[in-house]
Amino acid sequence: MRSLPHRSAHHTGPRDAIVFIIALFATLFAVTGLLTVAAKADGAAARNGLVTLNDVQSGTLLLNSKEPGKYVPAPLLATDAKIEVTGPMARARVTQRFINPGEGWVEGKYVFPLPEDAAVDTMKMIIGDRVIEGKIKEKEEARRIYEKAKAEGKKAGLLEQQRPNVFTNAVANIGPHESVTIQIEYQQTVHRDGDRFSLRFPMVVAPRYVPKEAADPQVVDFVPGSGWGTTQPDEKDLPPGTAHPGNAPDLTQPPVLDPEEGKVNPVALEISLEAGFPLGPVKSSFHKVDIQRTGKEGAKLSLAEKVVPADKDFELTWEPAETAAPTAGLFRETVDGKDYVLVMLMPPSGAVQPQAKPREAIFVIDNSGSMAGASMPQAKAGLLFALDKLKPEDTFNIIRFDDTHELLFPQPVRADRENIAVARKFVNGLSADGGTEMLPALKAALNDRTPNATSHVRQVIFLTDGAISNEKALFEEIARHRGRSRLFTVGIGSAPNSYFMTRAAEAGRGSFTHIGDLAQVKSRMAELVNKLEHPLVTNVTASWPEGTHTESWPDPVPDLYKGEPVVLAARMDKAQGDLTLKGDLAGNAWQVRIPLDAGETRPGIGKLWARRKIASLEADRLMGGDYEKTDAEILKVALAHHLVSRRTSLVAVDVTPTRPDGEKLESRDMPVNLPDGWEFDKVFGESMPAPVMRKAMRAAPTTMLASAQSPVMDSAQDRGLALPQTASDAPGLIRNGLFTLLAAFLLMLLWRRVTRRG
Amino acid sequence: MTQASILSVQKRHGWTAPAGAVLIAILMAIGGWQLGHGLYIKAKAQLAQMLLDSAWNESLRTGTPHKAWAWADAWPVARLSVPRLEISEIVLSNASGEALAFGPGQMSATDPSGKGLRAIAGHRDTHFAFLKDLQVGDEITLTTLDGGKATYSVTGTQIVDAATTNLDPTAENSLVLVTCYPFDAVARGSLRYLVVTKQVIS
Repeated sequence: MRSLPHRSAHHTGPRDAIVFIIALFATLFAVTGLLTVAAKADGAAARNGLVTLNDVQSGTLLLNSKEPGKYVPAPLLATDAKIEVTGPMARARVTQRFINPGEGWVEGKYVFPLPEDAAVDTMKMIIGDRVIEGKIKEKEEARRIYEKAKAEGKKAGLLEQQRPNVFTNAVANIGPHESVTIQIEYQQTVHRDGDRFSLRFPMVVAPRYVPKEAADPQVVDFVPGSGWGTTQPDEKDLPPGTAHPGNAPDLTQPPVLDPEEGKVNPVALEISLEAGFPLGPVKSSFHKVDIQRTGKEGAKLSLAEKVVPADKDFELTWEPAETAAPTAGLFRETVDGKDYVLVMLMPPSGAVQPQAKPREAIFVIDNSGSMAGASMPQAKAGLLFALDKLKPEDTFNIIRFDDTHELLFPQPVRADRENIAVARKFVNGLSADGGTEMLPALKAALNDRTPNATSHVRQVIFLTDGAISNEKALFEEIARHRGRSRLFTVGIGSAPNSYFMTRAAEAGRGSFTHIGDLAQVKSRMAELVNKLEHPLVTNVTASWPEGTHTESWPDPVPDLYKGEPVVLAARMDKAQGDLTLKGDLAGNAWQVRIPLDAGETRPGIGKLWARRKIASLEADRLMGGDYEKTDAEILKVALAHHLVSRRTSLVAVDVTPTRPDGEKLESRDMPVNLPDGWEFDKVFGESMPAPVMRKAMRAAPTTMLASAQSPVMDSAQDRGLALPQTASDAPGLIRNGLFTLLAAFLLMLLWRRVTRRG
Repeated sequence: MTQASILSVQKRHGWTAPAGAVLIAILMAIGGWQLGHGLYIKAKAQLAQMLLDSAWNESLRTGTPHKAWAWADAWPVARLSVPRLEISEIVLSNASGEALAFGPGQMSATDPSGKGLRAIAGHRDTHFAFLKDLQVGDEITLTTLDGGKATYSVTGTQIVDAATTNLDPTAENSLVLVTCYPFDAVARGSLRYLVVTKQVIS
């Protein structure tokens, strides 16, 4: 060891040990570094007490805070809801009273989610004893009117659609300790699952704690179990005996209450139910109700306790009495000299279903390169599940495609055990590679050798992520060559092209199913297969009376499947004569004649028609139509029917200015931690649990940056664009590689020293 | 060094010679592979842009999409440039993991009318590392396949959690650039950094 002549073994021992430890540490660090960074990234997502519009999933009046784009929720006093259910639709009037507990003039923003097909048509603002009715205006114009009133110190309200299922209501110039009542009316369709109808009324108003896994958009719009909470000061932070702690200045990080606390916001609820068919059992899932039957098809109910705390959603379910064949329901309304009718077609329910026909199932599976990763196993699992559900009398075939395509069997074969085994092997052997050439595969799938056969129902089940560019060509192909086939699209992966697939399924008179991850494969495919196995009435056509101009939606009329109602909304000059619905019910001709002048008059049918027309126009627009023209058409329909839409908003302005000139509007931040909440027990005679601070939330770092412009965002439960993974492995690999090499180098030094000594 | 001390060292470190050699060899192999692979990803990202550049020019000349290499699953659809930062990149037709290795990708289901939201995603460690340098007011130019040119102005940035946040495809006349956050993180996370822009109508 010439380089270190004076070093003795006695000294090198500890030094070597240090080098060795460093080397080990570096190796260890290289491995654990990954984990700590990942944990840090997660921690950064922790929310502080403020919320953004995207955090809100249920109605909350938000008050602006110091941070742009962030809001402080205001206390909510009481809610009164009246809902009328008419056949497949419900009309709700929700009255909510808020107060400004602060000393300043504030602008509040009220955010509330609604079902995607909800039509908001009325907004009233009641301030003191003034009632201000919202007027429908073109979106930009409404905003100008609102901003002008706001600047002039007038009270104003603006109701806008952010997305088809999220609305905001801005209220300007709420005075100190003033209360504001907001009344909103909307229309929605009831949810149907098989024979079970249900209606949910959102009562839960603390969306900040919504766990990710609970946000299933299809079933639960509003998460049960969390509750509304007013924020209360941490006792520790207040001088003893402070009566009015609302002046605590730090509002950018207000304390946030545990959601289990503060069962305030009492709700009163009344529902009148007119099912449109003979009613079976009517039940409230979570609340005690008084139910009073009104005839065979109706019921009236109200909460047994009159007023309940808003700590869980209200859900009402009802079922039809057994029927042997589809029954039709009819409701009508006359608006501005035009008649609107709503026709409901109910598939038979219960045990008396007609025998379903055998199927010819053509599965098309995308194994192109874009399906690589998580998507391919999902598509395979979905296909294997569907194969298992085939019955021996069914026939099937499989087509796989990337930039080439091949048919498993030259023609559809019987679904016997041998053929299924061949198919399983074929599916298991698929791997994702190559480009995406969908058109030839689609053509092959729609190529029907026996187009006039009635012994089988022909169904094409298309499993893909829809990463394609020639949507129009595909769409045309479907519309032109669909024949007797029905097209069911199954969107695979986190970000399938759902616009294309929904529209393709519509054109193919089938339905669209989305499978987001492997865990969903079974439940979603089971729902689809159940539907595929029970096509009840096919080739439905609607013949409206001659001589009257009729516009009906949806067009064409979809088939009737098990668990699905079909609802037609039509507009005509005069609702008289007969509507004839024809179809094919399990091999027999089926026909229903509905005298149009017989329907019961119900308000809101016109709105439902308009909402369906708007939805249809929006779909056309996305499929590539004349954008200017469809936009103008949407505006026209929305204005005529007083509906809030992408192009229209409701705006209400008080005539007299109320905010004194000298007072600034948003200058003072809203102390949300006022003890005013305690007045609830005086008002409603309920004892409130002592609020508990969630200190951890208060301590959370403010890492979220906010921009003034935020409406490009969408909460994940909407059908927005999912954000892709946008980091490569490179930094991790380079860093790990360097650390590992460093460790190797240090170890080598150590080793050389030791061996040279030898 | 005395014979005794050498012996004592050999005795104490006797195990290190063979085991150490093996350990060092393994560590070097792993480290070398990791470093090499990491650098390969970066190099591929750079190289691909050059190939894409010529494919893009070809596409512009012929007016039809032109793939940079025959087996590519994505093709150039736009050129994204930021004059202030001297950035010019070719945007690919989709934002799948495969495509993003070669260039930023236009997210699927972007409103085909061209009036709605355009969202482009890119890797934070390669093509979209420059997003952290973008400031409010910066101009971004997007040249599309039909030769059309649109200018956008940065209006803000936002950090969101991809698990709970989607983009609204109907937001009009806007371009959103998406990349992972934080920029210097080593592992993949669910946070995304968004650059929100508004079209400048001239």
